[in-house]
Amino acid sequence: MKESEIVIMISRKLAPYILLFGLYLISFGHLSPGGGFQGGVVLASGVILLYLSRGIACTQRTFTEKKLGLAEAWMFFFFLLMGVSGLIAGKYFLGNFLPLGKAGKVPSGGFIFFLNLIIGLKVGAGITLVCSCLFKTAKG
Amino acid sequence: MKLIGEILIFMALGLILFNGIDATLIPPSILKDHFITQGVRETGAVNLVSSIYLSYRAFDTLGETIVLLLAVSGIIMIFEVRK
Repeated sequence: MKESEIVIMISRKLAPYILLFGLYLISFGHLSPGGGFQGGVVLASGVILLYLSRGIACTQRTFTEKKLGLAEAWMFFFFLLMGVSGLIAGKYFLGNFLPLGKAGKVPSGGFIFFLNLIIGLKVGAGITLVCSCLFKTAKG
Repeated sequence: MKLIGEILIFMALGLILFNGIDATLIPPSILKDHFITQGVRETGAVNLVSSIYLSYRAFDTLGETIVLLLAVSGIIMIFEVRK
């Protein structure tokens, strides 16, 4: 199929803003509608846009499968680590061990912000990995 | 003979279950009221949904991440081995 200049240009200019919007959804997850899962899917959609417009091989110079797999696995490890550190701090498993702060500000809510960040990166890496595997298979 | 016995057993079981169901029972609202009135003070998150799924029910979220991890590893296992 012939490559279109318009599609390539628009998708290249649009993808960073989609990634930025995903990070906004993740980091304001405890204040406004959004959160880890939604922001992670938006992050993945930014990379998938590049997959669709620029091809798998070109995009995977930046987002390699090794990096995505490592992100997926390590973020799950960090999630467990957050849970165990709540246990170490003298509370229950996955207890909120960080100071709560003033409600309504961005650094508030204790570890909810960090859990949102972990879940967002994990979901984004996972969905991107799934889509890259499926796209490669569909190509033959 | 055996069928009649089974039917009788199931009818007795159904009677017990039917007596257990009370149509006028409303779910207790203690937990809901607690989340609404005390959620911001206890978790520090203004977004109440976030405070429930990451603070009160974080274990549920841990299970969801395990499900996602299993799905991704399953798809990688199916599609990457064939080369």
